[in-house]
Amino acid sequence: MSDFGFHLAFWSLAAMTLGGASMIMISRNLIHAVIWLVMSMLGVAGLYLTLSADFIAVVQVLIYVGAISVLMLFAIMLTPRAERDNSQNMKTGGPAALVVILVMISTLWVAIDTDWGAVREAALTEQARLIGESLIKHYILPFEIGAVLLTAALVGAIALARQDDEDAAVHASSLQAELEGDASVDPVDVVDPPIPSDGEAGS
Amino acid sequence: MIIGLEHYLVLGALLFCIGFFIALSKKNAIGVLIGVELMLNAVNLTLIAFSRFGSAEVALSTQVFVVFIIAVAAAEVAVGLALALVVYRNRQTISVDRTTLLKG
Repeated sequence: MSDFGFHLAFWSLAAMTLGGASMIMISRNLIHAVIWLVMSMLGVAGLYLTLSADFIAVVQVLIYVGAISVLMLFAIMLTPRAERDNSQNMKTGGPAALVVILVMISTLWVAIDTDWGAVREAALTEQARLIGESLIKHYILPFEIGAVLLTAALVGAIALARQDDEDAAVHASSLQAELEGDASVDPVDVVDPPIPSDGEAGS
Repeated sequence: MIIGLEHYLVLGALLFCIGFFIALSKKNAIGVLIGVELMLNAVNLTLIAFSRFGSAEVALSTQVFVVFIIAVAAAEVAVGLALALVVYRNRQTISVDRTTLLKG
C-alpha cells in the first residue's frame, strides 16, 4: 500500500480538497465559490476511493457534486440583487479567525496525539449489498425516519418557496406586459382571456 | 512514510476548520450554507477514515452512518435554500447582518 501511486493520489487529492476550500474562503463571487465547492467535493470523493469506500464515493458524487451544487446555483441565480452581500464580514472576521485557530489547534492536537489503535484489515467487499442489507435489517427504524424527514423537507421546501397564487398571477401578467411592450394590459385579461385565439394564454 | 489514519484525520480537521471559518465570516446566507456543507464533508471524511482503519463491524456501521448524514444534509440544504429565497423575496437581501427582524 505504500507505493508511489497511492502517495501521489493522496497528496494530490488532499491539495485539491484543501485548495478548493481555501478558494471558497477567498472568492467574492458566489458562483465561483460553488464551482470551487464542486472541486473540493470531488477531492473528498477521490479520498473516499483511496479509503476503499466506493459506494460512499459514488453517493458523494451523485448527491453533493450533482444535486446540491446545482441547487445552490439555482438559489444564487434566484437572488440576483444579493451579490452586494458577498463581501467578507470584517467586523466579525477577527474573532472568527481566533475561534477557528483555537479549534484547529485542539483538533489537530487530538488527531495527532491520540493512540487510535488503528488496525489495517482487508477492506469490505460488496459494500453496496452490505449497506443495503443493514439498512433494511438492523437500521430499519432510522431508515424509515430518514424517509419521513426527506419527504417533510421536500414538502416544506416547496411550501416555503412557492409564491401565492394572486402574487404569481400579477407577476406573470406584468412580465407579459413588459414583453409585449404594452404597459396598459389589464391583468384580468391575461388570467382569463376572453378570446381563446392564443393557445398559450390559457395556462 | 506510510499514509495512515492520522493523515486523514489531520486533513479532515483542516477541512472542518476552513468550513467553520467560511460559515462564520461570509455575509451571504448561501455562503454560510457552503461553509456548513464543507464541515459536514470533513466529518464524513473522518468517519470513512475510521471505517477503513477499524474492525469489520465498525467499518459497516460507520458507512451506514455516513449515508444517513448525507441524507440529512440534503434535506437541510433544500430547506435552507428555500428559507433564503423567502427572506430574499421579503427583504431584497440575504445578508445575515441585515436580516434583523427579530432584533429587540
